[in-house]
Amino acid sequence: MTEQQNKIKLRTTVTREPKTRNGVTALILFGLVGGMTGLAFASDPLYRIFCKVTGYGGTTQVAEAPAESKIIDHMVTVRFDANVNKSLPWRFKSVQNTIKVRLGEQALAFFEATNVSDKPIVGTATFNVAPFKAGEYFNKIECFCFTEQVLKPGQTVQMPVTFYVDPAIIKDRNTVDVKTITLSYTFFAGDDQSEAQKLQTTHVITKDEENILISRESSPKG
Amino acid sequence: MSETAHADAHEHHDHRPTGWKRWVYSTNHKDIGTMYLALAMIGAIVGTAASMAIRVELHEPGVQFITDFQFYNVLVTAHGFIMVFFVVMPALIGGFGNWFIPLMIGTPDMAFPRMNNISFWLLPAALILLVIAGLIDGGPGTGWTVYPPLANADFHPGMAVDFGILSLHLAGASSILGAINFITTIVNMRAPGMTFHRMPLFIWAMLLTAILLLLAIPVLAGALTMLLTDRNFDTAFFSPAGGGDPLLWQHLFWFFGHPEVYIMIIPAFGVISEIVSTFSKKPIFGYLGMAYAMAAIGVVGFIVWAHHMYTVGFNVETRAYFTLATMVIAVPTGVKIFSWLATMWGGSIKFDTPMLFAMGFIFLFVVGGVTGVTLANAGADQAFHDTYFVVAHFHYVLSVAAIFAMYAGFYYWIGKMSGKQYPEGMARLQFWVTFIGVNILFFPQHFAGMAGMPRRIPDYPDAYAGWNMISSWGAYITAVGAILFFVVLWKTLTSKETVAANQWGTGANTLEWTVASPAPFHTHEQTPAIGTQPAAIGTQPAE
Repeated sequence: MTEQQNKIKLRTTVTREPKTRNGVTALILFGLVGGMTGLAFASDPLYRIFCKVTGYGGTTQVAEAPAESKIIDHMVTVRFDANVNKSLPWRFKSVQNTIKVRLGEQALAFFEATNVSDKPIVGTATFNVAPFKAGEYFNKIECFCFTEQVLKPGQTVQMPVTFYVDPAIIKDRNTVDVKTITLSYTFFAGDDQSEAQKLQTTHVITKDEENILISRESSPKG
Repeated sequence: MSETAHADAHEHHDHRPTGWKRWVYSTNHKDIGTMYLALAMIGAIVGTAASMAIRVELHEPGVQFITDFQFYNVLVTAHGFIMVFFVVMPALIGGFGNWFIPLMIGTPDMAFPRMNNISFWLLPAALILLVIAGLIDGGPGTGWTVYPPLANADFHPGMAVDFGILSLHLAGASSILGAINFITTIVNMRAPGMTFHRMPLFIWAMLLTAILLLLAIPVLAGALTMLLTDRNFDTAFFSPAGGGDPLLWQHLFWFFGHPEVYIMIIPAFGVISEIVSTFSKKPIFGYLGMAYAMAAIGVVGFIVWAHHMYTVGFNVETRAYFTLATMVIAVPTGVKIFSWLATMWGGSIKFDTPMLFAMGFIFLFVVGGVTGVTLANAGADQAFHDTYFVVAHFHYVLSVAAIFAMYAGFYYWIGKMSGKQYPEGMARLQFWVTFIGVNILFFPQHFAGMAGMPRRIPDYPDAYAGWNMISSWGAYITAVGAILFFVVLWKTLTSKETVAANQWGTGANTLEWTVASPAPFHTHEQTPAIGTQPAAIGTQPAE
């Protein structure tokens, strides 16, 4: 083959098909963009799962009651911190400042919330512990923060939380120095205020609701 | 119709639109590149004006002329956004990329010329949205990082942040389309014989930048969309009240944001590699190492994002990992620095303006890199976080170094782009004024930062007065340099002195120097055969 023919052959091989080849390349790249966008949105649920599993950011764990046999004679102090977002007209405080518990021992603490406005409001509490590294070992068995709370105008309720600190905390070299854990709550107005609106529009509290409210006020297990 | 026939049709009656249609409807890579460069210059004027206002305000303690502190925050935000999205990216990626990718790989134009048009025109639209954002409802005072809760509806209740978000969406779409075009062009349309391992390093840089863009920008777009719905449609991605977490924003933002800083600097690496090789009259030292060092920087850039967030309360293992991963980046970066030095070593160096700026780039990048290693330490960063030490660091690496690469690229290629000779003496003066100016501007900020001067505040304790005043004087000198640049630009474009096709002589071996200066409207209509082109000399590794 002559040089000229060679050149022509080269040109045709590179220039015949590029339209479709370019299209395929672009399609793959658009797919990549779509995938990355999907990943960005998937990051929200993934992040939540990640926090829950690892106790990242002081996210506490949810657990069944601990086995009595696991209790060990090593005390930690648990402090309580209560905050209210400024847009929620509630008063919120912890009933006790601190509790000393043995590792693995189930403990019960109370918080107290008062609705100081003149209408019923749904509140929801976010929570974490400090230091963050203790989140992995802080287990809640029952907590008012697991559900939304409705308070009538002027109503005060005591809200319980039962928890224990996993004895494994002293086996982890990162957390062996933890002597004090602060459990912190912040109440926000709930996004879904339909429960409060129900109370407001009817103004009559049904027997069931009354029972619920009474049980909440009287029995801290609620 | 095949591409060949298409190109032939052009040869017969050279289709060349004129007037406004030439620009608005443009599908020509050179015209689009020129428009990108022009937009970057407009952006640079606005962004520099914002930074000058900041430096004047900080010249002395107390309030100089900005009484509305939200306005100060808006200036800081505007400066950041404009410099990143409307100056550095359009100039280094859109401008030089569009101009020189087809010229350097020996293809007539980009793979998707009409998509190229829309990539460009999305950008002015984005800039207009950003300007609107600054003018309504007090403007976005969020900083370029747009952290919630500051960016939430609680603290920015007007529409300013929404306009800012939409602006970034458009700028992001522009970058994504441009990146797809770049990758397709580089992967599919190289001249026969130009294998991946024989591409000029500038092409490697553009390819890797485009890949980083495709991986990073969609994450920003997703996060911005979440912020937009948080602000307007009562979702709670970043709001604890609804079970969200503001820290998620920081993770998403920096997962984009850290690769973004490489998106700005890798094209600069490409430009500098070409220039150092040309003016040392030697092939680049360690070609393959240089290419794969950029790739390594790009890969590692995606797994170090949390070093921007050391103070949020990570456990010690997380901080140890991010410290280690961040420091690893110093290795490929060191490969690049030493390869540039080794290229110059023993070379027959010509100190023309592009080379001066390239050497200035290397110096500034090393200074910024060293402070980067300091900041990579989670322990040290607890103290440095959000101080002027950080400001000094990132201005050394990605503003001043990137700007030096832009100036270097401009002087290197303006002959090819315009066919005119720039005034060498005045250009060298511009280099020295700028080089002295930026160092007086940013070096004292290290000291102010180490003393504890925080970022993003319009007023500060008297203790920081000295370094701030020196820094402001540096800013004024740099501004003189910028004005000089525009004088040089005007002198060049009105000059009667023309340049040869290969104005730099023996060192310049890439394909753009084989076409006439100024580069004709259509180039490489005959596919160049690399084996017979000098391109093979400059960029291929020894075989």
